[in-house]
Amino acid sequence: MDPLVASASVLAAALAVGLASLGPGLAQGNASGQALEGIARQPEAEGKIRGTLLLTLAFMESLTIYGLVIALVLLFANPFAS
Amino acid sequence: MPLIHLWTALPLAKLEVGHHFYWHIGNLRVHGQVFITTWFVMAILIAAAFAASRNIQRVPSGIQNLMEYALEFIRDLTKSQMGEHEYRAWVPFVGTLFLFIFVCNWSGALVPWKLIELPEGELAAPTNDINTTVALALLVSLAYFYAGLRKRGLKYFTKYIEPTPVLLPIAILEDFTKPLSLSFRLFGNILADELVVGVLVLLVPLFVPLPVMALGLFTSAIQALVFATLAATYIGEAMEGHGGEHEGAHS
Amino acid sequence: MFDFDATLPLMAVQFLILTVILNALLYKPLGQALDNRDEYIRTNLQQAKERLQQATELAQQYEQELVSTRRQAQALIEEARAEAQKIATAEIAEAQQAVQAELLKIQAEIDQQKQATLQALEGQVASLSEQLLAKLLA
Repeated sequence: MDPLVASASVLAAALAVGLASLGPGLAQGNASGQALEGIARQPEAEGKIRGTLLLTLAFMESLTIYGLVIALVLLFANPFAS
Repeated sequence: MPLIHLWTALPLAKLEVGHHFYWHIGNLRVHGQVFITTWFVMAILIAAAFAASRNIQRVPSGIQNLMEYALEFIRDLTKSQMGEHEYRAWVPFVGTLFLFIFVCNWSGALVPWKLIELPEGELAAPTNDINTTVALALLVSLAYFYAGLRKRGLKYFTKYIEPTPVLLPIAILEDFTKPLSLSFRLFGNILADELVVGVLVLLVPLFVPLPVMALGLFTSAIQALVFATLAATYIGEAMEGHGGEHEGAHS
Repeated sequence: MFDFDATLPLMAVQFLILTVILNALLYKPLGQALDNRDEYIRTNLQQAKERLQQATELAQQYEQELVSTRRQAQALIEEARAEAQKIATAEIAEAQQAVQAELLKIQAEIDQQKQATLQALEGQVASLSEQLLAKLLA
C-alpha cells in the first residue's frame, strides 16, 4: 500500500470515529436529561419514557456507528489502496 | 482485497475482519461461516417454537410461557406501530425479524464460536456480515411496498407528492435511505460490539472485557428491538397513508 | 468486509422460509392459544360478575325477608301481650265485681240481722220494761 494513502486512511479513520461521536454524544446527553426531567415531573410515566428514550438513544448511537463503519472501510477495505 | 494485519504478531488472539470461509455452489460464492451460524440460530428458534407449541396448555409453564411472553411482546410492538386493525397479518414477519436478529446477536455474544476452527475466517453472529443485514433490510423494503400497494392500490404512490411535489426527491431518497440505515445500523452495531470485545480481549484477556460484553448483550437486544420497531413503523406508515405526519426521516 | 455475493439472496430466502416455519409452529398455535385464553378469561369474568350480582340480589332478598319476619314476630308478640293484658284486666274487673257483690250481700245481711236483732231487742225491751214495772209496783 502507498504509505501516503495508508497514513491518510488511518488519520481519516480516527477523525471519522471521533467526529462522529461528538454530535450524538451531545444529543444523547440532552435527550437523557430531558427524559430525567420528564420522569421527575411525572414518575408514573417512567416506563413509557424509558422505552422511548432507549429507542431514541439507539437511533443517535447509529450515527456514531456510521462513522465507525466508514473508519472500518478505510482500515480494512480501503478502495484506494490497490 | 488488502487487509491490514495489525495484531497477527501477538500470540493471544487476533482480530479478523474481512476474512470469509468461502463455499462454492456451482459458480456462486457464499460465506460459509454465516450459513453455519444461521442454521444454528434457525435450529434453536424452530426447536423452541416446536417445544412451545407441542403441548399447549391453558395455564402455560416453562418454554410455552417464555414464547407466549415473546409473542405478546411482539404483538404489542406491532399493534402500537400499525394500529388495532392491521397488525395481525404482520405479526409473523415482524416477529420473525425480532426473534431472528435477537437470537443471532446473542448467539454471537454468548456462544464461544471462536473455539471452532475454520480453514479461513471465523464463526460469528450472522448479523456480523453485511449480506445478512442487507438481505433483511431489503425484505423490509419489499414488505412495506407490498403493504402499501395492497392496502391502498396505486394511490400508494401519491405519498411521494403528498403534501407538496417539491419534496419528491426527498421522498424518493427516503426509500433508499431506509434500507441503507437499517442494514448499516445493525451491521455496524454488532460488528462494533465484537470488535470492541476483541480489542479488549487482546489487551487484557481476563475479566476486564466482561462489562463490555454485558453492554454488548444489552445493545444487541436493543438493536433487535430497534430493527423490528422500525420495520413495523415503515409498514404501518405505508398502510396508513398521508393521514399523520411523516415519521420517516429517522437517521 | 463489504463483499456482496450469493449470500445475500440466499439469506433472504432462508429468512422467508424461517418466517413460514415459525408462522406454522409458533405464531398460529400460540396466538390461537392466547386468543382462546383471553376469551376464556373474559367469559369467566362475565360469569363471575353475573354470579356476584345474583348473590348480592339473593342476599338483599333474604335480608328483606328477615326484616319482614322480624316485624311480623314483633307484631305477634305485641298482639299477644295486648290480649293477655285485656284478659287480665277483664278478670281483675270481674273478680272485683264479684267481691263487691259479695261485700254488698254480706253488708245487707248484716244490716238485716242487725235490724232483726234490734227489733227483737225492742220487743224484749217492752216486755222487760213491763216486767220491771210490775216488779216495781208489786
